Amino acid sequence: MNGTVEKVVIVGGGTAGWLAACSLAAARPGLDVTLIEAPDIPTIGVGEGTWPTLRATLAAIGLGEAEFLTACDASFKQGSRFDGWVDGGADDRYFHPFTSPPDAPVGELIAAWREDAPDLSFAAAMTPQVALCDRHLAPRQRAMPDYQGAANYAYHLDAGKLAALLTRHATQRLGVRHVADHVVDVLPDGEGGIAAVRTREHGDIAAGLFVDCTGHAALLIGRHLGVEWIDRGDVLINDRALAAQVPVAPGSPVASQTIATAHEAGWIWDIGLPGRRGIGCVYASRFLDDEAAEAVLRSYIAAALPDAPDVAVRKLSFPTGHRARFWQGNCVAVGLSAGFIEPLESSAIVLIELSLRALSENFPASRAAMAIHAERFNTLFRYRWDRVVEFLKLHYALSRRDEPYWRAQRDPAHVPQRLADLLVLWRDQPPSAWDFPQIDEIFPAASHQYILYGMGFPLPGAAAASDRARAAIAASRQRARSLTAGLPANRDYLDALRADAGARAALMEGH
Amino acid sequence: MTRHAALDKTVHRDLRVRTEIGAALGDAVMATLTVPNEFRNVQGHFPILFRREPGRDDFVALALFGFENGENLFLDGARWDARYRPWSLAIQPFLIGRPESGDGPGHVHIDLGHPRIAEGGEGMRVFDEDGRTTPFLDAIAERLGALDAGYRASGDFFAALRDHELLEPFTLEVPLDDGSQHALVGYHIIDEAKLQALDAATLGKLHAAGHLMPMFMAIASLSQFSALVARKNRARHG
Repeated sequence: MNGTVEKVVIVGGGTAGWLAACSLAAARPGLDVTLIEAPDIPTIGVGEGTWPTLRATLAAIGLGEAEFLTACDASFKQGSRFDGWVDGGADDRYFHPFTSPPDAPVGELIAAWREDAPDLSFAAAMTPQVALCDRHLAPRQRAMPDYQGAANYAYHLDAGKLAALLTRHATQRLGVRHVADHVVDVLPDGEGGIAAVRTREHGDIAAGLFVDCTGHAALLIGRHLGVEWIDRGDVLINDRALAAQVPVAPGSPVASQTIATAHEAGWIWDIGLPGRRGIGCVYASRFLDDEAAEAVLRSYIAAALPDAPDVAVRKLSFPTGHRARFWQGNCVAVGLSAGFIEPLESSAIVLIELSLRALSENFPASRAAMAIHAERFNTLFRYRWDRVVEFLKLHYALSRRDEPYWRAQRDPAHVPQRLADLLVLWRDQPPSAWDFPQIDEIFPAASHQYILYGMGFPLPGAAAASDRARAAIAASRQRARSLTAGLPANRDYLDALRADAGARAALMEGH
Repeated sequence: MTRHAALDKTVHRDLRVRTEIGAALGDAVMATLTVPNEFRNVQGHFPILFRREPGRDDFVALALFGFENGENLFLDGARWDARYRPWSLAIQPFLIGRPESGDGPGHVHIDLGHPRIAEGGEGMRVFDEDGRTTPFLDAIAERLGALDAGYRASGDFFAALRDHELLEPFTLEVPLDDGSQHALVGYHIIDEAKLQALDAATLGKLHAAGHLMPMFMAIASLSQFSALVARKNRARHG
């Protein structure tokens, strides 16, 4: 071994594997990237909600936005709406929009909101984005440059189609080698890492760095390297999901946000794509059996889409947790092999993106630096997983619902100490960068503010409404009027996009 | 085909207007109307020339974008390659409508035959869901008001130019880098020498009437010709 890492082998396809292939090949043009994917293993459709980071990720790997939107049957996501999480009452709903509050001290903004805009919810006072979501509007116009918008946004997408698009992009445009084969053994390198993987038909494939994208199987990081799994099911108690795809009528509105509706023992996701809605029921098997969960799901579908045909329901059981280390020797786990947490707030794909960004910007060019990179990566991602766990727990911890499941979610014995401490601090001061000091926090202080004040957490009383805060809130109101005048409905945008793509395809065929 | 109608919040409740830039939207024009109260904005970007309206004695002022019909050297595909867009372009497809008599307060009208009228759900709304004018229409109405006021005041401005014989015919031969020539024919500019020779009392009167500054702004705008010729050369080589 000459000590330099010139070849990377990614084991496993899916969103994680193909995003890894694209990201590494695009960021490091000299690198030899091979992806080994079992030809007959179906990929799990990991969450269809994404985070705004995906725009920069797609731009960095060289995909155009229109191509991505049409190929993945994607729609725009501008945040999440939580229905029924506070007390389950008829008016119980709040927003977590992707656009941050205005650039002024939050204490002053809160005071200005209470005095000048008491007719609006916290989120609606802080950003015009809520007005866009209420009207099913897109965050951008088609004439805008790719990946830019009038409000911060991500996407809802068909994860299977995303993997297929990334496969084409990686192999046809980025020079990634695709090996359709089964990995049957892993050969150690004698230094606590991996020398090669043995395949059924392509022999041994060696590399300087391996990326484990084998999903829950965790073939390299778990089964071979034996890195232990840390269970977080004590904090986040949901362990099952029932997933359905419900077709929608042509021309029907496409929602601008993920809708998460609380039920007696969990919550329901509702994700609108142009052609269907992905609807699923997340629950804790300790509090709700599968049959009852299916009844909850079907009654939601019947209420939301009364004319929908009867659809099949797929059952998923999932462990909640993550590896103790994500980078061991010369192997990095990305995706489900690194960990899994319920899809509330759609953290799965953003964790993949952040892992790949950390890896490609801190690439172990030499074997000598490998251990140093590994340690930094492990510290950073342990921090990230802990923050995700705590942020999701916050959604449950602030609920006042009374069912046994919700009381169990609030049990102080199962609230992480750091979150409990922050909740004490937040009685006196709003969440700030003091609480979330990392760059690229997945859920920055603004996200916590939206959850806290959306759920009616007591407002810290110290600050007074300043002129700048008042002006910012007035400007936000005015901007809502401008934006609602200029932005098209999601449905109109996406239909026009597909009509254009169809016309272009017809033109190409004509030649 | 033009089809004018008074803007109405009920009839035009769902109307949308396309605000992108493009030849197909009416931007491929060699010049556009400007008015004396806009000269100050225009002169830093485009030459201002005067032209007699066909078959009439009245003059109009034009901001010049090119040297032949349909040539707009500031139109770069879907991009407006200047930091200013004259009012008369920016307000399209809207206009001011007046009763037959020509007097009385103006109302916002719209040309429903204009290519900027959007079909489908994309484009700027003119009224919001409550029937209130949108900030987009508010901004248009402000420009329309300024344009209308300027147009109504321009009769006095041109009368002053005529009284003092300050307009001179202007023909520009534009030699291009490749040896070809373009000529601009049929325009007028302000006769700078005559303007400079006016006595103090006359200048004082012109100034008091608000005509002096636009006259000098129009003269200053002629320095934009060299930039426009450079654009023309670039366009031919590009």
